[in-house]
Amino acid sequence: MALRRRLLLASLIAGGLSPVRAETRRFRIALASLDETPGATLEGLGFTDADLRRSFELAARTLPVDMLYFDNAGNPDRAIANADAAIAAHVDLLIEYNGDAEANATIAHRLSAAGIPALALIDPLPGAPLYGPDNRAAGRMAGSALADFAHETWPGEQVQGVLIGDLADPGAAVTERVQGITEGIRQSLSTLQFTTLDTGGQSVRADALLTKLLLTQRGQRLLIATLDDLAAVYARNAIEMQRRQSDCIIVSQGCDRSIHGGASEKKELDPSNRGSVVLGSVAYYMDRYGYDVLPLALRLLAGETLPPRTVTKHVLVTAANIFREYPPFDMN
Amino acid sequence: MGETIVKTIGFATVMGLSLLSLLGLSTPAAAQADCKSVVAASPFGPDDQTGATNRVTPQVTKAAAAEIQTGVITPMAYNLVDGVPLFGTRFTKTILTAVSTMPGAEYGKNKLSYMEDTYLSQSHVGTHIDGMGHIGIQDCYYNQTPMGKYVTQNYLKRLGLENVKSFATRGVIIDVVKVFQAAGKLKPNAACKNPCLDGGTVITEADLQAGLKMYNVTLREADAVFINTGWGDLFLQYPAQNATYNGAEPGISKSAAAWLASQKVIVVGSDNWAVEVIPGEDTTEAFPVHKTLLTDNGIHIIENVRTDLIAAKAARDNRATFFLSLTVPKAVGATGTFVSLEAIQ
Repeated sequence: MALRRRLLLASLIAGGLSPVRAETRRFRIALASLDETPGATLEGLGFTDADLRRSFELAARTLPVDMLYFDNAGNPDRAIANADAAIAAHVDLLIEYNGDAEANATIAHRLSAAGIPALALIDPLPGAPLYGPDNRAAGRMAGSALADFAHETWPGEQVQGVLIGDLADPGAAVTERVQGITEGIRQSLSTLQFTTLDTGGQSVRADALLTKLLLTQRGQRLLIATLDDLAAVYARNAIEMQRRQSDCIIVSQGCDRSIHGGASEKKELDPSNRGSVVLGSVAYYMDRYGYDVLPLALRLLAGETLPPRTVTKHVLVTAANIFREYPPFDMN
Repeated sequence: MGETIVKTIGFATVMGLSLLSLLGLSTPAAAQADCKSVVAASPFGPDDQTGATNRVTPQVTKAAAAEIQTGVITPMAYNLVDGVPLFGTRFTKTILTAVSTMPGAEYGKNKLSYMEDTYLSQSHVGTHIDGMGHIGIQDCYYNQTPMGKYVTQNYLKRLGLENVKSFATRGVIIDVVKVFQAAGKLKPNAACKNPCLDGGTVITEADLQAGLKMYNVTLREADAVFINTGWGDLFLQYPAQNATYNGAEPGISKSAAAWLASQKVIVVGSDNWAVEVIPGEDTTEAFPVHKTLLTDNGIHIIENVRTDLIAAKAARDNRATFFLSLTVPKAVGATGTFVSLEAIQ
């Protein structure tokens, strides 16, 4: 890479990636996303590939980047074909989001042969820096919040833990989140017992499953951790229908649009809904990945060595900070 | 919450202080900050509540009057009617009172009848102007005003529209659609029937400068700047495209706003609902252009301006400047109001 290009990029990065100047070289960066099939969600959360792609489109507006988009469609062969297409298109860098390790090994090999650097999203690509969530830390954040709530609201009382979500999901992400939640709660409630309610991937089932539990656990204080926001919304329905708001609290994972909205799109996490049994949701910001990943890509293109893994910032988003984390723009 | 001002100016107008309503604040702001470290001081002195219209001097108005050469007037406001794009908590509802037109209800032997309107609406609807009391950072508003001290149940005790001075100045239309077409970078929205920039398109100061250069215009102090993005095409299709219109918009960047402020303009208006690009350049930041223009520089924002007609006329006549015809009601303590404006050439 020419020294001049490196210097230009270095100055751009040092300047906080400010709007593009005419003399700045533009880069062709491809994003091969996991699965753009309508309705397909990512990582057991409520985000979709459309959210992810949009974040790259928005982030690219003020960067010296021209984006190419590929849909891996959840298919390893398609992912390899997309990588070949990106190579044929002479991209400067490929951002790969593909869950199949074998295909990723092939893609890494072909990219290396073509001299094209890569960044991996969530699932590792051999030799490429990885960007993704810290599922365990996010889980711990939720667990700690639940335990803190119990100490503040029900001091000295007996409480029970409930885990709701797609618990049979074989992916590492769910396992890590559950581990984190358990650790977070047990930091201060070391003997807490958990009941698990497996939605089997259908968040709507959280309603019926929790209703059944509530009917058998009358008067019991429940600390409820849901693994996705839609499950939290359905769990809230069950609690409200059983009039158990005074002894249940929910913390979720994701903070996607199913649980928060804008100023005029009132949803569960809202400044005017601070009494909700949904205390909050740990944000994964998959709808903002582009803003984090494209600057990393430019640093890589500038010749910088990136750490092997960069993790998403996670924040517990509640009614008290939702508008700071997701400023609504439906007002003027 | 739901603070309202009731005005009777021939008809009853109920205007909600919409921002406060949206935020659900019924009492002075809880989070008080040191406003001297948050907001810039006004160049017009510590007591200034007027903002940039202080720049409209007799000399400015006299120079602007030279823009009137043919007397041709081009409207720059949309019709104010129920059904135009609004946001969830906002509404307009017109009610016609026509009792005296009923047989036997006329007045006097000459059978005089009359009709009046009741207009129920927030103030920030349709073509409307944002005043100095509209936008702040925490409770810090224009000229380092700690607004928490001045918010009452019904209106503001400082920075209300009654402080605004004249808009009798030169207007300038910047046709960014033409700029993007000329640069070969126009990516229109499919819902637009005429060329438009797509939602989320960032308009930079370089784009604005290119638009000025097209008509050989140099901005001067106290100008009112209007930006044609084409997005207003969706407004004109109400209600069919309301959701698309409200969902995003092309608009100016933070740095473009700072550049306009450096030119000492008094108004920035556009054919969109927030003037600035939505989604913003940094999605974690709320309405930064509003803060730059209104809060830091006292520059009024006019939203939902009908710019297509004057942009088309500029293209026909190769002339992008005009005398701005705009007056604002002396609505005491109001944060904004719907307005009508015209370009006179």
